[in-house]
Amino acid sequence: MVAVTFDNVSKKFARGLPPDSLRDLIPSLVKRGLQRRRTEALTDNEFWALRDVSFEVEQGKALGIIGPNGAGKSTVLKLLTRILKPTIGRCVVRGRTGALIEIAAGFHPDLTGRENVFLQGAIMGMKPREIQQRFSEIIDFSGISAFIDTPVKRYSSGMGARLGFAIAAHLNPQVLIIDEVLGVGDMAFQQKCIDRMNDFKRQGVAIVFVSHNLEAVSNLCDSTLYLKSSVVAQGDTVEVLRQYVSSQAKGTSTTSIDEAEIRDVSLSDGSGRAISSVAPGTPLEFRATCAIHRDVREAHFGFLVHRSTDNLVVYGGHFHASELGFEGLRAGQVLRLAFQFQPHLTRGQYHIECYVHDDVGGAHLACLSPAAIFGVNETRSCSGIADLEVQAMAQALDVAMRPVVSLVR
Amino acid sequence: MTSSLFADAKEMVVEQFAYRALLVQMIKRDLLLRYKQTVMGFGWAVFMPLLNTAIFSVIFIRVAKIDTPVAYPLYAYCGFWAWNFFASSLRFSVTSLTSNSNLVQKVYFPREIFPFSMVVTCLVDFAVGAIVLIGLMIWYGVPITANLAWLPAVVVVNIVFTAAIAMLLSMGNLFYRDVKYLFEIVITVWMFATSVVYPVDQVGGALGAVLAGQPMSAIIDAYRATLLYGQAPTPAFFVAALTSGVLFALAWLVFHRSEFKFAERI
Repeated sequence: MVAVTFDNVSKKFARGLPPDSLRDLIPSLVKRGLQRRRTEALTDNEFWALRDVSFEVEQGKALGIIGPNGAGKSTVLKLLTRILKPTIGRCVVRGRTGALIEIAAGFHPDLTGRENVFLQGAIMGMKPREIQQRFSEIIDFSGISAFIDTPVKRYSSGMGARLGFAIAAHLNPQVLIIDEVLGVGDMAFQQKCIDRMNDFKRQGVAIVFVSHNLEAVSNLCDSTLYLKSSVVAQGDTVEVLRQYVSSQAKGTSTTSIDEAEIRDVSLSDGSGRAISSVAPGTPLEFRATCAIHRDVREAHFGFLVHRSTDNLVVYGGHFHASELGFEGLRAGQVLRLAFQFQPHLTRGQYHIECYVHDDVGGAHLACLSPAAIFGVNETRSCSGIADLEVQAMAQALDVAMRPVVSLVR
Repeated sequence: MTSSLFADAKEMVVEQFAYRALLVQMIKRDLLLRYKQTVMGFGWAVFMPLLNTAIFSVIFIRVAKIDTPVAYPLYAYCGFWAWNFFASSLRFSVTSLTSNSNLVQKVYFPREIFPFSMVVTCLVDFAVGAIVLIGLMIWYGVPITANLAWLPAVVVVNIVFTAAIAMLLSMGNLFYRDVKYLFEIVITVWMFATSVVYPVDQVGGALGAVLAGQPMSAIIDAYRATLLYGQAPTPAFFVAALTSGVLFALAWLVFHRSEFKFAERI
């Protein structure tokens, strides 16, 4: 069943401040009365925060929403939670909605943790009896039972967020709307939050998840929406993340042409074809041309592989010029570089960073990132980074011996 | 038009009912916050009307003597008691939306809850203030009559009228912050245009009639009639009751229909 429908929604905002005092009210009212403008038209002062956005989320499915700052992600959530009304289009949410938009929004600093649990629970739509029943669970989950009778103003920001999420985690929603809540809390708590959201999903809750944490999006979401006021891409999470990462990565390439230059980069498999997506362990070759513009006595080349969704370095290696047969580099030299490697990685999006480093001066001569991007396809793993080529086996030890069953990757 | 009116009215009531637990929690919150870190606690609820009563008793008994149907301190305290409920409900309501901008911008629930919870919170102060009034009534030996049965009706009309203005003010201040400054001026003038410290009909002429007929004078006079004079409320009270009901319905409708703009305009 479809739990969330977003149908051709557009939302208009005013750029400046609307008239805030009575003195400005009368002229603005007169103006509004004279020109009855249509909703489609924009005045000088207005802009579209969202334009023709459509999506659906079914029960038990999670939709991720990604995009740069100011792309309208939070506007979507505010429309879903009925805080805002669409200028054009229709937005329907069926069933009891839990919203994790800034989880400590309802906390009052002067009230104790206990008092705030009841207040925040009610704000999120829980009945007092439900809160009473789950109170000890909530406190256990938050892990701050020792401070439950302390005013929230004396909490650290992490403690407040933990309590906020703990309350939300004990809602009983049919639709859950989450805005960037994983930025808080330590790693163990973040994992707890992700586990909890996966539980919700299994119970048939429809989830809309906005985050800059692309790893969390790829772990949780079945489909993803890449938003930049209007929809840039929409559909399968892996594919949308690939598009987003490559569009974001373009902006971060740095290369200093003064001292050296890395150019003509290519990434190919053993047969020499350019690739975009490979199976784990496929032999790959990265090639680049490196032009040196000044003398360097000792240098090394860096070859790094990043997971694009969170920039994690999955490999970083130094290769000294002397090891490659060059005692120092001279101005005017042009080198062909090749790095052969096998990406024993789990599925995801990766990119290569390549640089030349002056070991004496301690600075990069040139650095190119992403020099190349590639995806790894496999379906076995459910989390993790390295593909360890695991094979699983099972054997029945009862009387009627069955043959060895092996489950190969 | 009429069908959408009914749909809106139904939605307003259904939503308010669905979120009744939140209203209770908000009232609890406001009550807890009200006197947290104070030494006097609810003592503040009776301190101000008593102080005002003392000041005006000196003025109107010793300086400019005026005629009141009952002893002046009793007359004045009863006026301040009812007036303070009205005025402090409004004073807290004016900023009730703007001071909760975090909630208004981030969580959905019927926004009427903010002014409503303020009115109910002040109603608790009003109940505490009643204890002192009962004490004064015993001290001055005020007889109790069957007309006391009117009292609940007077309280209800007072609440409805207060809630109506509270909604309009909180909404007005959200859109135009001038409202909270304007409010302070208006409420001061309004107090002296109401039978709080003196009977306004003594102003005389057309002005006196208007001042005595306006809803707050009618309501406060109705309190005095049922509690102190042992009389039924005057016809002016029934006009005030009708006015309050209509104003409340209108205010709620306007408030509800503007709600969706709150998050953008706050």
